[in-house]
Amino acid sequence: MKFLLKVAAFWAAATLSHAQALPAPEATAAPAGEAAPAAEQAVGSPPLILPEERRWRLGAALGYGERSNPLIQSDDIPVVIDLDIAYFGKHWFFDNGDLGLQVLDNSLFTTNIVARVNSDRAFFSKTNTKYVTYTVLSGGFTAPILSAAPGLPPEPITPEEALPLKPPDRSYAVEAGIETLFGGEWGQASLRWFRDVSHTHDGFEVAADYSYRITRGRMTLSPSVGLSYKNAALTDYYWGVQPGEASRTLDAYQARGGLGWEAGMKLNYYLTKKTRVALSANYERLQHSVANSPLVEQDYVLGYFAGLAWQF
Amino acid sequence: MRARAFTLAGLLSGLTLLSPLFAQDAPTPVRLIIKPLLCVIDKDATSCAVTFDIRWKSQVPGEFCLNDSVQATPLRCWPRSLAGEMTQERIFAEDFRYWLSLPAAGLSLPAGDSPAAGGERLSEVKIEVLRVGSNDRRRERRTRHVWDVL
Repeated sequence: MKFLLKVAAFWAAATLSHAQALPAPEATAAPAGEAAPAAEQAVGSPPLILPEERRWRLGAALGYGERSNPLIQSDDIPVVIDLDIAYFGKHWFFDNGDLGLQVLDNSLFTTNIVARVNSDRAFFSKTNTKYVTYTVLSGGFTAPILSAAPGLPPEPITPEEALPLKPPDRSYAVEAGIETLFGGEWGQASLRWFRDVSHTHDGFEVAADYSYRITRGRMTLSPSVGLSYKNAALTDYYWGVQPGEASRTLDAYQARGGLGWEAGMKLNYYLTKKTRVALSANYERLQHSVANSPLVEQDYVLGYFAGLAWQF
Repeated sequence: MRARAFTLAGLLSGLTLLSPLFAQDAPTPVRLIIKPLLCVIDKDATSCAVTFDIRWKSQVPGEFCLNDSVQATPLRCWPRSLAGEMTQERIFAEDFRYWLSLPAAGLSLPAGDSPAAGGERLSEVKIEVLRVGSNDRRRERRTRHVWDVL
């Protein structure tokens, strides 16, 4: 906790030093899905002064999508309904599970202190057990019988011989950290640093991402890229196999820290102010040490969704 | 059984939410059709620049005027006819309305949006402006949850 406060103080001091002479943003635009009442004006007129945005942002998407689960013995995660629930007060905000406090805001950047729940744990909710049986080979070695050898009939297997193969249980971690958001005509970017404050994994993550929105007619297209470094403590807690968890079906494994990346694309086609067709796809490449874990059978996470979305 | 009930409930709620897209008014003697109805602009854009395709049809021949909620006088009046069409280029930054009216009501219409003040609107269409994005950067932050697709 002391370490967290030190980093937060350093981050805030660094950003504050740039914030002294910066003016506050002049105009506040209406949020997507709301009317934008303002005087009619021609191109080249002074910037619009728009009314304050609604504090609540409520939305829902109904359709079909999946996020692949890289774990062994796991199911992909279906996405049928996606709710968007957020509240933005003057300083405090709640954004789909993240709780934040805005500590700095100027024309260049916004810095928030944020508490969130780690997202790696979500993969461990969709696991199941496979039973693996072993046979003794010449020389005394054992080998799993996963399928019958070519040309040979499978040996009869008794339930007592079968060993369970299931990813071990993992807990949710509450993480707190600091994020700085940038935005302009060039797009949106963010820097984030989060550390476990629940003593679940005692690790940290540093991440950066960038996205750019292209608006053409009724369509908006937002490509994005991101980098994320997770340290050894965080990575090993979720993706390592501790000696006490190792068995004949699961080798012990110590995961190291490393860098992963992701790229995504979101496309919205607005039917009305409140209704749009939403398509999204996201590819995340797991860091090398995670991909090599015996708990992992895919070195990537692929997500997609297509449906109708409403902004209330 | 539960799965069927869930599917039915999903369909019903989907149809309820979609109903505004397919809602149609009762047949009217005069119908105004304008495209596009929506302009989507980025938060940093100051205005929409759109060429509107404006058409109207009437079941009985008559003299009709096209008005909007921005100016007091009609944009155009057609002499006794069953249909009319025109295009209009305009730059705008807020929602507004087009409507058809009889000449007298249209000519005497003051600026504003009140049908009572300007006479009967025979057919009306609302043009909407949607600004995407926000100057509050917190509203643009990306949550990285597994289920986050919006």
